[in-house]
Amino acid sequence: MPTIAVVILVLFSAVLAGVIAVRPAITVSRAGKILAFGVLFFLPLFSLAFGMQNEMQRSESTAFCLSCHTMEPYGKSLQIDDPSYLAAAHYQNHRVPANEACYTCHADYAMFGTFKAKLGGLRHLYIYYLGKPPLPQDIKLYTPFNNRECLHCHLGARSFEQGATHNADPATLPAIKANTLSCVSSGCHDTVHNVGKWGSQVKFWNGGS
Amino acid sequence: MEAGDGMGRRLRISGTLVILGLLTEALCLVWSRPIAFVVLVCVGGALIGLGVLFFLYSLVSAGSHAAGSSNVAREKQ
Repeated sequence: MPTIAVVILVLFSAVLAGVIAVRPAITVSRAGKILAFGVLFFLPLFSLAFGMQNEMQRSESTAFCLSCHTMEPYGKSLQIDDPSYLAAAHYQNHRVPANEACYTCHADYAMFGTFKAKLGGLRHLYIYYLGKPPLPQDIKLYTPFNNRECLHCHLGARSFEQGATHNADPATLPAIKANTLSCVSSGCHDTVHNVGKWGSQVKFWNGGS
Repeated sequence: MEAGDGMGRRLRISGTLVILGLLTEALCLVWSRPIAFVVLVCVGGALIGLGVLFFLYSLVSAGSHAAGSSNVAREKQ
């Protein structure tokens, strides 16, 4: 449900609750009792459920992640005009949805992955508002990046399965699929965001959304 | 439900809590900051929850009052 529709529902519920609060006498009749039950029980709970669902959906957006100052350089890294930057190449070529770029790669695709991502987000909020947020260049992943997240899209793709480098050694492809050889390991796709390591010659692409 | 008695007062309190919760929720929905979600759940959700629970409590207490007064009437007869 679009945000504006949820806001209208919430305000409508508030107005009806206001009517009950100002004139409780209307609940004397049977119709008034039914109205009171709908207004003070069903509508607030529906409004809360829709509002929370809306916020959860918003928390998956790129704009939401980048609204923390600490994340600004990571957002900027998506605009780097260099295809060797993995995050930029994925974002600019829409290999991931541009409006959910962070979430697509950083939410794990295992069971409860979404739940874990939301919990991680709450932890980030706590650190951001009540803790001491690290410098952008000092931010590290909690665990090494799992190939499962890459293979969610790339597994079975011709460019991945028949790529020259992936097949140069017959042991490489099985090792990637078994997550024993990381996609982002040194010498492979190791330039991801590289925040704090950009040289002065780095250029930015201003197109896209 | 009699409007002028304690039930009316409880409905007012319940309605006020729900209104405050809903207004908090509306503000959070248009406020595009990460903290908005936490405020929505912790403040808006808590106010709405309290309002709803208070409304349910008022229904239960009104029901028990009604049952109590009907028992007294029967005993008098």
